[in-house]
Amino acid sequence: MKGPHKQDDIVDDRYQVVGFVGEGGMQFVYLANDLVLDRQVALKTPKNPSAEKRFRRSAVVSAKVNHPNVAKTLDYLEVGSRAYLVEELVVGGDLAKSILEKVDYVDPFLVARLFHHLSKGLAASHHANVIHRDLKPTNIMIVDDFQLTGVKITDFGIAKMATEELIEAAEGGEDSISASDTAVGALPYMAPEAIEDPRGVGLEADIWSLGAMMYELLTGSKPFGSGLKAVKRIISADYDEIPSFVNSNPQFGHLSDKLVTLIKKCLTLNPKDRPTADELVVQCGLFCYPISERYFGTMKTPNNSNWGFISEDSIGDVFYHVNCIYGSRPQPGERVMMSKYSGGGADRALPVVRMKK
Amino acid sequence: MISNLPTRYVPDGSSGRGGFSDVIYCSDTHLERRVAIKTIKDPSEEKRLSDEIAALLQIRSKHVVQLFDVVKHDDSVAIVMEYIDGEDLFTSSYHHQSEINLLKVLWQIASGISDIHDVGLIHRDIKPNNMKLDNEGIVKIFDFGLSRNSGIDAVTIGFKGTQGFSAPEQYTHAEVSFTNAIDVYAFGITALFLATNNIPQELLSMPPGKVPVGAFDCPYLDPYPTLKALFERCLELNPVDRPSISKVRNEISKFLLFDEHQAIVVVNISQGSSLLNASRRNVKIALDPIGSFEIHYNGLNFILDKVKGEVFVNNILAKSKNEIPEACVISLGGKWRHSRERSFVTFDVSNPEVTL
Repeated sequence: MKGPHKQDDIVDDRYQVVGFVGEGGMQFVYLANDLVLDRQVALKTPKNPSAEKRFRRSAVVSAKVNHPNVAKTLDYLEVGSRAYLVEELVVGGDLAKSILEKVDYVDPFLVARLFHHLSKGLAASHHANVIHRDLKPTNIMIVDDFQLTGVKITDFGIAKMATEELIEAAEGGEDSISASDTAVGALPYMAPEAIEDPRGVGLEADIWSLGAMMYELLTGSKPFGSGLKAVKRIISADYDEIPSFVNSNPQFGHLSDKLVTLIKKCLTLNPKDRPTADELVVQCGLFCYPISERYFGTMKTPNNSNWGFISEDSIGDVFYHVNCIYGSRPQPGERVMMSKYSGGGADRALPVVRMKK
Repeated sequence: MISNLPTRYVPDGSSGRGGFSDVIYCSDTHLERRVAIKTIKDPSEEKRLSDEIAALLQIRSKHVVQLFDVVKHDDSVAIVMEYIDGEDLFTSSYHHQSEINLLKVLWQIASGISDIHDVGLIHRDIKPNNMKLDNEGIVKIFDFGLSRNSGIDAVTIGFKGTQGFSAPEQYTHAEVSFTNAIDVYAFGITALFLATNNIPQELLSMPPGKVPVGAFDCPYLDPYPTLKALFERCLELNPVDRPSISKVRNEISKFLLFDEHQAIVVVNISQGSSLLNASRRNVKIALDPIGSFEIHYNGLNFILDKVKGEVFVNNILAKSKNEIPEACVISLGGKWRHSRERSFVTFDVSNPEVTL
């Protein structure tokens, strides 16, 4: 177990450490039992105890936001020189682990749904005048992977701390940027003004970051690439053109067109020209996307050039037509993620997305 | 009044009171936010607080208030809960701003009760005073002091509940056993009160009588006769005749999403696609002289109509006036025909979700 704690440590007579969840750039995260309320929680503590003051500010800030799409702040405590934040335990993985690492890109139906929920969480925080400042896939928690039972933005407070580190990194030049894990992870999603004037960022920086994430989900690529080369492209809002597969299939084109339009608005250079979170909620509400369950299966040898069957893991064969596939056509034997609908004979799949090996 | 709370909680001078408890509003100095701390007036009522704690810990619902802490207070305990910044539904007027607002509130109440029932609990005191609407428009149910597990221990002696909102079976003099249908009854009265601002005399007697004809008539619900009938059924005298709360929730959501659906119709892929929705409700597709059909959107469903000739939905011969499956392939021309004499139409509905 990493960080200051080992199994069964009890913090402040209340939180018993039962496991190590992971570490972010700024903090260690433990799974803990709340002995007073007999429930499991996420227990976070800064990696650098001297950051205690900033950690407390961050806890206070995140506690102001109360929305189903934001992980809830439950408690804050200090024991000696060490500070702890207790947060609602979100059982699942972050957006990177749950979704991005499993598929090359995500079908527009699922992207629209994620976009809608994240806009709502962001709107609630912006109503409380809380800027996240560090929205990125590892700060979004997903319950049940592709089923999206829960979508929660987390680490609101931490972002402010990260900003301090980012500012130090930015002011220290290229060497310190590449030395900072936090900066490297956040960079592809950072708004141009967050790079040029980190102390002056407003709510609009979160909108940019959300747009950059949605771009990556829909296309499978980061809009400005990664690493230091991205900086130059971000500050001129020079993103890669959307690949043609995103819009070319009439089965998805209507929704993809709308998603792309909204994503491009989020990635507008001038912060004032970006939509507000409230406007995003309204636009996403007009998308109209299906919320059907997702299944997994293996492509069988196609019956002809247009259609074939997928052997679904628990139920049996599911019919597919090539136009139900989002992106490149999976080869026989490859794993796919799909929704399916009952049909005469066999169920019919839509959409079908290839999974990474 | 509260003498020995932990120092992190500083009373801000305001308070409220319920039947058996007092609520003190405090500032939680650790997180600089307001919390509501509930204490009991009479130590013999401690069981109600422990029932409430047990209930709140079981339920995971965005429509139920969040529990933060349990602290010692005098010889008993106090529970620390999130403070909901907003009005309770007894005083709020949000649901009278539009029909949709009323449906949104009722849908959330039904969702919250459904989450409560899903973990085997009965709230037992559902009423507008026990729900608040927060700044983000989210309804939160609180006050679980009367809650019980459903099943064998759902028995009480004498009347417990709120007059006007309690179901007829709760007024039985002897040992009273009850099911989660009492929450459905209380939901029905809550819906009636929120929609009409009135509870008719017949329903205020002890026990309540039959719901008067037309009790749910009002400008907010008149556009939804199906829902009025369903809410009336929530007030059936016999608990087994009441619908489940999840059924109520699902029916309300249909109307919340009225005219919000969209379907995409793709003819032979290469010929492009068209959208059906509230602004374009009909499409006619024909492959003359082999077959033709129309699809009509009525705000709730997509209906296949005017079917002529060889029309198959997912390989099954199609009939007029039937709802179309949410994703299907409609083929014109039977399997025996040459591919030049056949045409394929894919039809996919996007079911919107209720988001708040």
